[in-house]
Amino acid sequence: MTEPLLVVRGLSKHFASGNETVSVVEALSFTLGQGQSLALTGRSGSGKSTLLNLLCGLELPDAGTIALRDQVFDADGATARRKAAGWSALRRRHIGVVFQEANLMPALTLLDNVRLRAQLAGRDPANSEDWLTRLDIGELARRYPDQVSGGQRQRAALAMVFAMEPALILADEPTGSLDRHTADEVTRVLFDLQARHGCGLILATHDAELAAGCQQHLDLGHQSDV
Amino acid sequence: MIRHFSLALALLLLAGCSGDAGDEGFAGLAGLEKSRTGNTNTNTPYLQPGPGDRLTFPADFGPHPQHRIEWWYLTANLETAAGDPLGVQWTQFRQARQPRAVAEPAPAATGWPLQAAWMAHGAVSWKGQHYFSEKLARGDVGNAGATAVPFQVWLDNWRLTGNADNTLWRLQATGEGWSYDLTLSIDGAPVAHGDEGFSAKSANGEGSMYFSLVDIAITGRVTLDGEVLTVRGKGWFDREWSSQLLKTGQKGWDWFALHLDSGDKLMAFRLRDDSGSFYSGTWIPAEGDPVPLSSEELNLQALDQRKGVPVRWRLSVPAYQVDLELIAPPGDYLNRGLYPYWESPVSVSGSHQGEGYMELTGYVD
Amino acid sequence: MNGSLSRLLPPYPSLFMPKALLSHYRRHPLQLLALAVMILLATMLWTGVSHLTSQARVSLAQSESAVAERQQVVRDDGQALAVEDFVSLRLAGVCVMPWLEVTPEESGNRLVGIDPLAAHCFGADASQAVDQPLDGKPFVDVHFAAGTRARESRLYLLVSDTTKAAELPPDYDLTTFSASPDTGELGASFLLNLEALGVLVLLITALLLRSVYLLGLAQRRDSFALLQRFGVSPMQVQGWLVLEILVLALVCVVPGVWLGRWLAAALGSGFGQALDGLFDIPLYAGQGQGWLTPVLVMLAVVVIACLGDLLLRRFRGRLSLPLPVRAGLAAVLLAVGLVMGWLAPSLLWVFIAVALVFAGAGWLTPAAVVQLAHWRANHSKAPLALWRYRELAVLVRRLTLPLVALQFALAMVLAVQALVTTFESTFDRWLAQRLEAAYYIEVPAGANSPQATEWLTSQQARVTGLQWHRVIRGSAQLAAAGDAREQSVDVFALTPVSSLIRGWTLLEAADRPWEALAAGEGIMINEQLARREKVAVGDRLQLILGDQPRALSVLGVYPDYGRPVGEVLLNGETLPDTFNIRFESLSVTPGEPGIAPITDALEKVWGVQTVALRDNDTVRALATGVFDQTFALTRAMTLLTLTLAASALLMMGWVFFSTRAWYFRLLVVWGLPQREAAAQLLRLALLLTGGIAALALPLGIWLTWVLVHRINPLAFGWSLPMAVYPAFWLELALLSLVIGLSIAALMRRQLGKPAIAPLSANALTGGER
Repeated sequence: MTEPLLVVRGLSKHFASGNETVSVVEALSFTLGQGQSLALTGRSGSGKSTLLNLLCGLELPDAGTIALRDQVFDADGATARRKAAGWSALRRRHIGVVFQEANLMPALTLLDNVRLRAQLAGRDPANSEDWLTRLDIGELARRYPDQVSGGQRQRAALAMVFAMEPALILADEPTGSLDRHTADEVTRVLFDLQARHGCGLILATHDAELAAGCQQHLDLGHQSDV
Repeated sequence: MIRHFSLALALLLLAGCSGDAGDEGFAGLAGLEKSRTGNTNTNTPYLQPGPGDRLTFPADFGPHPQHRIEWWYLTANLETAAGDPLGVQWTQFRQARQPRAVAEPAPAATGWPLQAAWMAHGAVSWKGQHYFSEKLARGDVGNAGATAVPFQVWLDNWRLTGNADNTLWRLQATGEGWSYDLTLSIDGAPVAHGDEGFSAKSANGEGSMYFSLVDIAITGRVTLDGEVLTVRGKGWFDREWSSQLLKTGQKGWDWFALHLDSGDKLMAFRLRDDSGSFYSGTWIPAEGDPVPLSSEELNLQALDQRKGVPVRWRLSVPAYQVDLELIAPPGDYLNRGLYPYWESPVSVSGSHQGEGYMELTGYVD
Repeated sequence: MNGSLSRLLPPYPSLFMPKALLSHYRRHPLQLLALAVMILLATMLWTGVSHLTSQARVSLAQSESAVAERQQVVRDDGQALAVEDFVSLRLAGVCVMPWLEVTPEESGNRLVGIDPLAAHCFGADASQAVDQPLDGKPFVDVHFAAGTRARESRLYLLVSDTTKAAELPPDYDLTTFSASPDTGELGASFLLNLEALGVLVLLITALLLRSVYLLGLAQRRDSFALLQRFGVSPMQVQGWLVLEILVLALVCVVPGVWLGRWLAAALGSGFGQALDGLFDIPLYAGQGQGWLTPVLVMLAVVVIACLGDLLLRRFRGRLSLPLPVRAGLAAVLLAVGLVMGWLAPSLLWVFIAVALVFAGAGWLTPAAVVQLAHWRANHSKAPLALWRYRELAVLVRRLTLPLVALQFALAMVLAVQALVTTFESTFDRWLAQRLEAAYYIEVPAGANSPQATEWLTSQQARVTGLQWHRVIRGSAQLAAAGDAREQSVDVFALTPVSSLIRGWTLLEAADRPWEALAAGEGIMINEQLARREKVAVGDRLQLILGDQPRALSVLGVYPDYGRPVGEVLLNGETLPDTFNIRFESLSVTPGEPGIAPITDALEKVWGVQTVALRDNDTVRALATGVFDQTFALTRAMTLLTLTLAASALLMMGWVFFSTRAWYFRLLVVWGLPQREAAAQLLRLALLLTGGIAALALPLGIWLTWVLVHRINPLAFGWSLPMAVYPAFWLELALLSLVIGLSIAALMRRQLGKPAIAPLSANALTGGER
């Protein structure tokens, strides 16, 4: 195993539902190495999205520790505000997030979207158009999201993520709303680039074929150490 | 407290009808409008005429402050020197807001009292033209009123004045485009209508005190748009007072006063009601005593209308072999005042020839 | 409507359609509520404003003949009038009306007793002219006034304008009568402006209605598509939509009208007294029972505002022009409107110009803001700034209607504020000009005024603080150069030219004008005369005074609000003996000893029992009080409109921002701290409302200018001073920022919650950009 990128230990998250407490993530531990990919599977509501939110700090855990690169976030540690600030900085520069859709600002062209994301990450925006070209949508750079197809939009979303040169990519059903053929293409590009750039990838999906492309698997229906 | 500058509303205020009394506007002319205020004076009630009430002369030529409404009413069928018929009307109404006992002194003029309102109407009908004016005043201030002795009825510069023995009257009035100055010689005793002066106005016993002078010779001058016409002819004078004239449901009246060529006279009226009308009248033979006519003895039928107003009538009194057709001359004889009504001369044909006057209320809002 | 409706509705009596249509509102009850509330408020506001204005207008028109510009009868022997005089005049056939002024012992408010019965002879058409119920004080029945325990009581007998002195019995004469300062056209002018305000309110509310309705319609598009798949034709859907909005409108318009009347009545009791007291306009209370007109107008407005374009589908193709063409057209409209507003020769054209400018501005503003935002975006270095301006462009496009409504409302509030403040200060100045002295004493007909002035002159040295002058009014003929026809002007002559009037603000003046006037070196003229005759300071005016022609140099031009008549102010000593004096009075500020010794002395000098005295302080206090009330009312109405517009924008902004919440959340996902994302939101909201406020400013100023400098001179021949009130601009700017802050605050709450991603790809297409 390569040097660990992400180490998760005893991660738990509960939600209050009426008088009861529902446990969404319970004492989860796993490790992801540099350049490795992990497939998160499980039926709807099994906590895939919650876990992704925890892993990028959009939600804070009730218990457990997350160590990403050189930063360690402990559920019992610093104040929520400080943690939020730390996570914000990480997301801005090092964590790329891809959702099923609506990853782009509708008021900006594809190119402007990529540039905006790159600039936020502190990267040179000049390469933005290259990224679009590398994802085969260079000629669409000056189109708006509503002027291109769903597949092209997801490609643009990937361009944005890679333009920020992330350490970790979190993808939540990135091909969920695409047809099979387009989905395959987007998946191929995703794995290709991930491998080439050596960043970590955590992919939440219930598409078994997609999950099979990953090196590690975590079924949230049957949580256990990986 | 809201005071109204509105005349119409002010008049309703002045009318001051209590709830049980007829909501009849000014002297019954408005038809059934809702009254606004109750009778505020609880000490002195309004007197309501009833069967058994008698006339008193000359006092009854003067005002009756304890009755709600009354009027002095002259209509005249005149003829110009050129032989054209010319009709004249003069009426003065009093409408009480508060009843006052006869013995009680009138309130001081300096207080601009509000016990009664007066309204005067003057009209001249000639060659299809109808001239009409209206005047209003509050009572007890001085510019409007009436006295029995000497006999005077006045409102501003319109006045009817009698001589010492009340056999010779002078009537003066001026309106826009018209004026008249007439001398009236009164002949014959007053004719009491109904039950010795009590004239029923419905089957339930509502009614008024009512008498007429039916033998009046008139001479004088009428000025129309600057043209002075010498006129002569005969007149009919009514005095009537009550505290309730129309009862609820009654919509207006049709009234006729006729001089027949035979020397007989006829007064007839009908009060129109949703549930059947009330008819009454008086047969005044050339010789002999007047005879009251009941509903059964009178037949009255409207034949033709002009703009919603019946202008041709059939009137018959079978008991006296009277079967008349009455017709108003061409023209519009609506008195367009605050409460519009029709007042026109009529010519008489049929069993008798003759002339007279017709008053129709409640046809026009 | 009936025919087309029956064509649109399905021929079978089915509950399917209404159920299908209503299901939307079952799912979005708040939207239905918002629509209903908007219709209700709009109706209420418009009904309220128009009710008040039309009431006041009708009353004004009637009072012109009934109460304004009157003559009164006086006794030749100078004695006070009594009931007997009324009676003898009446018996002589003169149409006189008693006017009993009473100052009650308990309270200082003056009452005026009138006799509606006696007034009957004033009206040509009795049923109309006299049919004006009067709303309480200060007018009461003369009987009530006579019965009031009074400190002071005086009877006037008014006659109509057409009455000639020759018609009066001997021992009586005619003179002019004014009970309170006759503001003349100032009232009419104010009402005209109020009426214009009413039209604007209607426009604004229509825009707001449309915005709320279109929001719902957009959400219902999917269900309409579904219905069409079920075989319901678009025509039928439209028919049902018309029916639906008609029913909703009817349900809301009727209580709205009722509420509007209630509002008008509630505000009107104060308003009524204000107008009563000052303009002599009796305000209707409970008159104008016509429900049909306001209900029909509002129904039409609701249907047109909501479905106008849908019903005119045939023309829609022609109406939806490409953006540059539309912007160009709007610019042309705006330009034409502006030029026309400047040059318009008549009122109608000015109103058309106002309509053009508003249409142009309403069309151009959103387009211009969008263009500006794109331009700023293209020139911004910071990526977030680029995003913010692009987002602003989207916002402006999506919120066009409520934004334009807010812009119009802001402009209107600006204009009304300036107008009201202008009127206020004009009235203040006008009052100061007319009530320059503490007391005003009528010189009785036939009295010897030189004797009085001699006496007053003798007192001048002895009494400290005594200031006075004698006022002579009459008329003179103006011989206009090169014009054969003579023109009559009012003469306002003073002796001496006392310090009382030297504080007047002059529009234009020669050097030391008052000294020159005192020396008899010339005259002053009012603005109306200067405008009409195009006379300036230094010109000479040819006047015929009495029988003497004179050429007099113009020393100054003074503002003289509220009258169309030209007037010359001159030194009374220069009047020839042949000058026909129409009216004489003394203006006196008595100094320390008070007015009593002066009136006593004048009574002795003139040999009368009482002199007619007017305490100007009382008049001024009354006038100021009632004006404050009137203006406060006007402001309240406009602020209510603004509030409506603001809350509509707030509501729409909230709904729209909700659809954008995901993207703000995206910023957080991209690593922007919550606070920064919220700051972006705040900047965006403030840009939006601040920008609208900034754009409303020129429109508002222009509207003010049109009202005071174009409409007023065209309608009445005199202009109001144009003033701008930057402090109020600041208030409005703050207000619009508060609206922006409120939107941002509402959204901030959503930002904290996990956002829901737009559900389908459909949501990403169309309109969002």
